[in-house]
Amino acid sequence: MKFKKIVCTGCSLLCDDIIIEENDNGRIEQIIGACVRGKERFKSIKSQNRILTPLIRENDDLKEAAWDEALKKTLQMIEDSSNPILYGFSTTSCEAQAEGIRLARAIDGFIDSNSTICQGITLEKSKETGVTMTTLTEIINKGDIILLWGFNPIESIPRLLNKILFSRGKFRMTGREIKTLIVIDPVETASYKIMGPRDIPLLIKPASDLELIQALKKICKEEMEIPSEGIAGIDKMDLERLVANLVDSENISILIGQGMLQPSDDGDPLKELLELIEILNTVNEKGRVSIIMGGGHFNMTGFDQTALSLTGKNHSLQFKDSTLIDTEDNIITKIEKNDFDLSIIVGTDPISHLPLEISKKLVTKPMILIDNKKNSTYYVADVVLPTAITGVETDGTAFRIDEVPIKLTKLYDPPNDLPSDEELLIKINNKIKEE
Amino acid sequence: MIIIPTDNFMDLYKLLPQTNCGKCEPKTCMAFALELLKGNVKIADCPPLSEDPKYKDKLAQLQELIGAEEGKKKELRITIDDELCDGCGICVTICPVNARYCYSTLSGKVPDYPPDEHQLFVIKDGKCELLALDQCRRITAQGRERECRVCETYCPREALEISYDIIDE
Amino acid sequence: MELRLNSIRLIEHDQAEEFTFGEIEKMEENMAIAFINPEDFEEMYLTKSLKLHLFNEHGEVVVRFEQDEKIPKGTIAMPVSIWSNQLTSTKNGKLLNKNIPVNCEASRDPPTKLTELIKKIKKGGET
Repeated sequence: MKFKKIVCTGCSLLCDDIIIEENDNGRIEQIIGACVRGKERFKSIKSQNRILTPLIRENDDLKEAAWDEALKKTLQMIEDSSNPILYGFSTTSCEAQAEGIRLARAIDGFIDSNSTICQGITLEKSKETGVTMTTLTEIINKGDIILLWGFNPIESIPRLLNKILFSRGKFRMTGREIKTLIVIDPVETASYKIMGPRDIPLLIKPASDLELIQALKKICKEEMEIPSEGIAGIDKMDLERLVANLVDSENISILIGQGMLQPSDDGDPLKELLELIEILNTVNEKGRVSIIMGGGHFNMTGFDQTALSLTGKNHSLQFKDSTLIDTEDNIITKIEKNDFDLSIIVGTDPISHLPLEISKKLVTKPMILIDNKKNSTYYVADVVLPTAITGVETDGTAFRIDEVPIKLTKLYDPPNDLPSDEELLIKINNKIKEE
Repeated sequence: MIIIPTDNFMDLYKLLPQTNCGKCEPKTCMAFALELLKGNVKIADCPPLSEDPKYKDKLAQLQELIGAEEGKKKELRITIDDELCDGCGICVTICPVNARYCYSTLSGKVPDYPPDEHQLFVIKDGKCELLALDQCRRITAQGRERECRVCETYCPREALEISYDIIDE
Repeated sequence: MELRLNSIRLIEHDQAEEFTFGEIEKMEENMAIAFINPEDFEEMYLTKSLKLHLFNEHGEVVVRFEQDEKIPKGTIAMPVSIWSNQLTSTKNGKLLNKNIPVNCEASRDPPTKLTELIKKIKKGGET
C-alpha cells in the first residue's frame, strides 16, 4: 500500500491535504479526507457516460469519427464563420484558458467564461470602489467574524466552514467559541444549524438587500438611528448587534454568493455593498473588512486572473483584427441579439444552466463541444471533441476561491491517449496559423 | 435495541439531592447520575433520595423517567447516518480528542493516515467513520467534560446521534 | 396558485454528478423535483400521487414534489437544472433565478423527460 498527498478539483476550495491509498497496481483503494464532491470527481474516470472518441453529427445522429476527420471539420467550421463566440473554460487549467484567449484573438472571436454570470461581475465592480482581499489562512489564524450574505456553503463547498470557522488558528486557539458567524438569507438554510450562542441568524425579507445596505451605510456613518420597527424584516435588537459587531471587531470577512448577484430594478445592491465595506474600513478603528467571492467551478477565478494578466480585462473579451476592442456585451447579450454564427463550448453545459430563451437561440447556429462526458449540450452539438479530466489525468495551474494559485497533480494517463484541453487548443491554434 | 427516553444525564442530575454527601459508591451526584443512566446503579443506591421525605417528589419523577430501564446495562453509541453525511469533516476538526492528538486538525486540515490510536473520526470515501469509541470524552474524562456533545451539536446535516443503548445479553 | 420560485444548489440533487454516474432515467427522477411548504400542499388540494405543473411567461414543466417545512410559505424551491431553467429568465445581461413568479397546479401527467426538453429547445420553443 502506498499513500500519496494530492490536490482535489471537486470545487473551488482546491483542498491540497487529501490522502489516497494506492494498491500495488497503482489503482485507488481509498480516498481519505475528501467530501462527497471530491470523491465523485475521482470516481468519474470510470464513468459510463465518458466520451472516448470524436463524434460528428449526420442527419440528427452523432457518429464516431477519426481525429483527423473531426479536426478537419472543426477548422472548416471556423473558417466558414466570421463572428464566433467561445464560452466555458471554468473547468480547465489556466494554461488551457490562455490558449483559448489566443485562439479567440486569431479568429476574431468573442470569449467569455462562467464568471460573467457569477463573480466576474463583483471583480469588475470592485475596480470602481476598491476592495480588500484576504486569504483563507488569514481567516483561520486571525478571523473574528464571518458573514455569509446570500451564500450557502454547506451545499456548494462542504469543507469551507470546517476550515475557516471550526479550526483553531495560531491567534484564535479557542476556535469555534471565539469566532462569530452571521448569516443573512431569506430562507432558513442548513447554515443556521451550526449556530452557537454568540452567532446572529438574520432572516431578511426576499429581494430587500438593497434597502438593508442603504440603511446600514447611513447608520455606520451615524447619520441615522436604527428605526424601532426594524428594516427589511429584521428587528431592532438584531440590527444593533449586527452594527456593533461590524464597527467594533478586528477582522471581518464577508462571503458573497449567488443571492447577492441578482439584478434589481431600483439600483445596484452589489455596488452598494462594496461601498458599505469602504465606509466600514474608514469607520472601524481597530481592524478591516475583506471579501471572498464564492463560486462553484474549480477554476472560475483562474479565468479572471489569466484574462486580466493577458489583456487587462477580466471577462467578455471581443477581438477584431487581432486586437481587443471595447464592448458593452457579455455572452448573454450576444446570444440574445443573435450576434454570432458559431459557438465553441469548452467544459460546461449551457443548455442546462442558461434560461430557455437563451438556449433556444444558441442551438440555431453550429456548435463545437470540447468536454470529457455527456451532458445536455452533447445532444445538440454538431462536433464533439473529447479531452482528459483536468486535475486527475493531466496537471496544470488553478486558482482557489481566495485567488491563491495551486498546482494540480496528475494521477493516471488518460484512456485512448486523449489530449488535454491545452494540447487540443494548441493543435487547433497551430493549424490555423499554417493557413 | 431499546433507547432510553432521555440520554442527557443532566436531566437525571437535576432530580438528585446535589449535595455530594458521599454516601453512594461514585461519591458525587454528577457521577451517580451517569452511572444511573448506564444501569450500573439503581435509584435505591442513593440513601438520602429514598429515605428523606423532602425528596419524595424528585424520587417519583426519577422513577417515572427511568421506568423499566433501571438496572439494565447500557453503553455509549455514536451512530452516523450514511445517507445524510456529506463528508464536510466538521466532526473531525471540532472533536477535542482529535485536537489534542492530531495537530493538523488545528488548522482544519486532514489528519495523517494511518490514523493515530486516539483519533475518533476519519472521513473515508466521502463519509464519516468512527474509529476508536473508547477514546471519546464521555468515557475517559471526569466531571463536566463528560457531557461533551460537540460532534452532535455542530453537524450541519444532523447525521450524528449520541445515545445509550441496552447491551444485548 | 401563484408562488415564487428560487433555484438553489443541493448536494444530493446535482445535475452534473447525475450525468457522470447514472442512467438518464435515474437523473430525471432525481432532478425533476420541487420542494413546497406543507401548508401550500394543503391549500392546493394535492395528494402524494399527483405531480406539479409549473408555468409562467417563459415556459412550462411538469415535476414531482416533496414537502419540506423549511421552505417559507408562498415559495417553492428547485435544484438548478435544465428543468428549473425552463422558468427563469435574464435581465440586463444577468441571470434572474430567484424570486420568480410562477403558477402552480396539480397534474396527472408524468414528469417531463430530458428528450422532450431537448426537442423543445431545438424547435425554438414551439410545443
